[in-house]
Amino acid sequence: MGSRWLGPYLLATAISWAAVWFVVPSQGRSDELDFDRQIRPILANHCYACHGFDAHSRQADLRLDTRDGALTSGSGEAIVPGNPNSSQLIQRIFHDDPGAIMPPPEFGKPLTPEQKQLLQRWIETGAVYAEHWAFQPLNTKTTGRSEPAPAATPSEIIDHWIAVGHDRGALREGSGALRDPTKVRGANHDSTNVRGANHGTAMVRGANRDTALDSGANHDLAFSPLAPPETLLRRLSLDLIGLPPTLAEQDAFLLQYKVDPQATYAATVERLLASPHYGERWGRWWLDQARYADSNGYSVDSPRQIWLYRDWVVAALNNDQPFTEFTIEQIAGDLLPNATESQKIATGFHRNTPHNEEGGIDVEQFRIENVVDRVATTGTVWLGLTIGCAQCHDHKFDPISQTEFYQLFAFFNQQDEPKLKVNHSNPSTAATTETPTETTTLVLQERTQRRPTHVLIKGDFTRKDAEVSPGTPAVLPPLTARGVIPDRLDLARWLVSPDNPLTARVMVNRVWQVYFGRGLVESDNDFGLQGTSPSHPELLDALAAQWIEQGWSLKQLHRWIVMSRTYQQSSNISEALREIDPDNRWLARQQRIRLEAELVRDAALVASGSLTATLGGAPVYPPLPDGAMSLGQVNRPWKASAGPDRFRRSLYTFTYRAVPPPFLNVFDAPDGVQTCTRRLRSNTPLQALTLMNDAGFFELAQNLATQIEAEGMVAAFRRCTSRHPSDEELAVLAGLTSLDAARVLLNLDETISRE
Amino acid sequence: MDSQPTKLATSIVHQATRRHFFSQCGVGLGAISLANLLSEPNSNAADLDETTDPLQPKPPHFAPRAKRVIFLFMAGGPSQLEMFDYKPKLQEYNGQPIPASMIEGKRFAFMDSSHRIDLLGGRQAFAQHGQCGAWVSDLLPYTAKVVDQLTILKTCQTDLFNHAPAKLFMNTGTGQFGRPCLGSWVTYGLGSESNDLPGFVVLQSGPRGPRGGAVNWSSGALPTTYQGVPLRNQGDPILNLSNPSGITAQQQRDLVDRVSQLNLKRLVETGDQEITTRINAYEMAYRMQTSAPELMDTTAESAETLAMYGIQDPKETTYARNCLLARRLVERGVRFIQLYHTNWDHHGGPTENLEKHLPEICRDIDQASAALVLDLKQRGLLDDTLVIWGGEFGRTPMGEVRESTGRNHHIEAFTMWMAGAGLKPGFTFGETDELGFGPTGEKAHVRDIHATILHLLGLDHQKLSIRFQGLDLRLTGVEPARVLHELLV
Repeated sequence: MGSRWLGPYLLATAISWAAVWFVVPSQGRSDELDFDRQIRPILANHCYACHGFDAHSRQADLRLDTRDGALTSGSGEAIVPGNPNSSQLIQRIFHDDPGAIMPPPEFGKPLTPEQKQLLQRWIETGAVYAEHWAFQPLNTKTTGRSEPAPAATPSEIIDHWIAVGHDRGALREGSGALRDPTKVRGANHDSTNVRGANHGTAMVRGANRDTALDSGANHDLAFSPLAPPETLLRRLSLDLIGLPPTLAEQDAFLLQYKVDPQATYAATVERLLASPHYGERWGRWWLDQARYADSNGYSVDSPRQIWLYRDWVVAALNNDQPFTEFTIEQIAGDLLPNATESQKIATGFHRNTPHNEEGGIDVEQFRIENVVDRVATTGTVWLGLTIGCAQCHDHKFDPISQTEFYQLFAFFNQQDEPKLKVNHSNPSTAATTETPTETTTLVLQERTQRRPTHVLIKGDFTRKDAEVSPGTPAVLPPLTARGVIPDRLDLARWLVSPDNPLTARVMVNRVWQVYFGRGLVESDNDFGLQGTSPSHPELLDALAAQWIEQGWSLKQLHRWIVMSRTYQQSSNISEALREIDPDNRWLARQQRIRLEAELVRDAALVASGSLTATLGGAPVYPPLPDGAMSLGQVNRPWKASAGPDRFRRSLYTFTYRAVPPPFLNVFDAPDGVQTCTRRLRSNTPLQALTLMNDAGFFELAQNLATQIEAEGMVAAFRRCTSRHPSDEELAVLAGLTSLDAARVLLNLDETISRE
Repeated sequence: MDSQPTKLATSIVHQATRRHFFSQCGVGLGAISLANLLSEPNSNAADLDETTDPLQPKPPHFAPRAKRVIFLFMAGGPSQLEMFDYKPKLQEYNGQPIPASMIEGKRFAFMDSSHRIDLLGGRQAFAQHGQCGAWVSDLLPYTAKVVDQLTILKTCQTDLFNHAPAKLFMNTGTGQFGRPCLGSWVTYGLGSESNDLPGFVVLQSGPRGPRGGAVNWSSGALPTTYQGVPLRNQGDPILNLSNPSGITAQQQRDLVDRVSQLNLKRLVETGDQEITTRINAYEMAYRMQTSAPELMDTTAESAETLAMYGIQDPKETTYARNCLLARRLVERGVRFIQLYHTNWDHHGGPTENLEKHLPEICRDIDQASAALVLDLKQRGLLDDTLVIWGGEFGRTPMGEVRESTGRNHHIEAFTMWMAGAGLKPGFTFGETDELGFGPTGEKAHVRDIHATILHLLGLDHQKLSIRFQGLDLRLTGVEPARVLHELLV
């Protein structure tokens, strides 16, 4: 059934696709072990906690995280390559005695029989280790296998590797389905293969293919058809500027799309990338990572003023500042020669740490906590590493020692934390009516007197160990310092050095996950040994390499993704697709995604014709339910903005960390207490209550009701969903008052989704 | 779009027709839940339901002793030395400096201040009570009467001594932000048995909200489905619970029905099962609009019951009323209920001293806490309900003398009590030294307490985990934690 409705598209496009790649051979022998994917996760999850990098917690003096260690440390017989029976590791994991079996039962992570057999086979075949992929340089060398055509554009490269992934995924999911009989239930029995000839044959050569066919399951994966034009416009608009298209934009697009789909689509991408709202939409993405909020957090949670930093982010993205400069200014703008006011404002990135104003605290303790957070956040945001784990001990899994943590700490231990006075005639930020002319923002400023940095025993600031100087982890390429002692500016440049194997991969992946709901590396904030392996390793590296080569332009990266066939697919889920790839790991469809918290309201602002589109300025106060601000220690006054500021984009809503605005909080907005690199998406009754009853949303429903009266139901439906309603759908709305109909429309799942 | 409906969606549409029939015939879906419709025979929808309702009840790891939890959180740090931990020697040494050996290497809040840190004798008269002979001070006459139902832990320990971080620690097992709290873990692990109320509810009383606010009931790395929902005593009990002004009940029912009809059509078109969750969420939201006010309406409670809790005016926001609501929530299948009562931070200032304010706040909570235990017992609910009483830390044997007397934050040994859930009634765990500074034997670290709470609920604290930032995140973290089997019958 699934194949049948995919068919027409595939036949039509098979020819054009054939031009893009040479040949897609089958993926290796199925009995060939992949260390990164199959073996390392077992060792990392079940063994490294006691036999890994952390020398302090290492048991029996045995380490299994390196081949050398596994062959020589401990008794020296943990692993005897080629000889599982002589390998103590094998003896111990198969042991009957609970006192001798590994991992120990009290560790709570027993190995499954399949895992034991994998380890056995791995040792049998020589116990080959691979260096962790993420610490290796980007791999852009041609291997002669499955390469995209030399002249392929980045978008074509994306599509190429996604198509290769379809074949690999079909093999994997196929064998997975066989192991798990529940997955085959209800499978499609139509085994006719109607895929395009160009890469359909690879499947049949796969080792599991015949058995998969025998089981009656159809495990084909291929691109879904192109999404309809109305969906494409809505998707682009929400993804690039975070606002749904207006009626006029819809009409123009549909008209032109009929004439020249490709040119119309491309022109729309350019229009949206040039829109100042692009910076607002992607600025929020960055502000999540910067843990931005407008108050100090902890118990007292007083308001703070740092919105000039927020405006700096929006402007930098709108100007498509290269990510290298974007990074350097935020980490060390104050250290640049003749630093401009704007470059100083940028250092607000690391002033977004919470600040404890509670009585009786040790001020030094919380200063240290902020520095720790700055190290951990830098590690998570740029390097995709859980460096923060090494605060109290050597990292259990990744090669980051506690000393190295404090060497990074030393970079961030040298700053004062002043307020910068800014005269707001600065044209880089557009003032609103309520914005004062002179304001302040929080910045970093290097001290003249250096603070010594010590390793802190168990992370306790009262227990100082050896003094350390600034430095970066040895597992990564070395840092080049301008002077004798490296400083934050050196660190910033090191983060975005082309040699750094992590930053570009991490960022490309983090942008990707916004478009598809999941990264090529699912653990977007952990590229370490415990993280997930990339689903499409060649694609990740190709994109990262292209991105570096083309000047780290985020707008380019967005352009590459949205121009791809992969992006433009339908997000509909056929029963067959749900069967084979329920999590959409292999991207044989787009992903239907609930809008992020701010966009839920922003979309309603646009749909109801209420949006005040002004950019930047001091935070605003949209209406909140009575009593919403009384849940923290201090009852915060909240006088709802009147006039245009009531209807500003949600990005500008004042956010208290201890009592975040409920309409954002219920839709999973982060609270700004620590970096958030990927939002969760829940689906709860409180969301329904918010959309149905919240005074702010009801006000928007009233505005939409006015629109219904002026323009009719079809227009209102289109304002909310960006598509024409069917007659059936209109029938459901028939007989309702304008207000009731408006409430229905604003509550639709589709209105708060991007398909 | 040339898409073909899935089998599942077809069956839902079939039901949607029925649904339409019901709503047209005035039998709104409030009466017949969508879940019932979806799980009808031949609908193929049962498996859909189980994958889309994150709060569906889930089996524990092993047979549980408790099915639900009421955590009475005394925010600010109650003074165990005035309430449960009777120390005649401390009285004797009143005014003397604490032996240096005791405080060496220890840290306290406000240590840089000039406040005196000499030993301060207990302020209250103590007596032994019940069959078990537990010592309770005269500040807690009602609690004293139920000591035979309680399991008292005198050697609780925590790691952090400032309020907000320590509250976070008691709730999430770490002082770091972004981790799920106990209530979130429990609803994540067990789901909820309530169809028309949230699985995890927070109630507040006292002069101000707890420090740290929403992070105390945050689901952290878990979806917000599992975050605590504050029930408020004024205005709507849940934010946005009431219809907007001018919207009738019928209009609201109609809204939910039509939204669901259109959502069903979209489900057919897209095959996205998340839409089913959305439909369920709207049904639940609608039911909450009725059930939450019904919950809060205590007029049907007998005069005897109100008197037992010490409720004077059922409309007034008090700890006592919240205790009664906790029982009503338990009766309605809510999994985890957390009450916060502020403010227990008795340093000795003009509004927070041991002379006047501690007795006042004890009166706030004493009768109702005891009544809750008795009421649950009378109704046969105590056997499988765990009640926990305690704060984020305790208070020092050393006094603070400001305008009047008080005590500093203390993390080495403080008292909590538990009741119900197959715990040994009338049992006291752990003893402190003669000055009440630290444990002389067994201690109950917050991690041990967490492991024990999960154990009572049939959950293995080492197994209840999620993958987060490269770690298998657990409530009890990576440091040792043990189930306090001594507490169990």
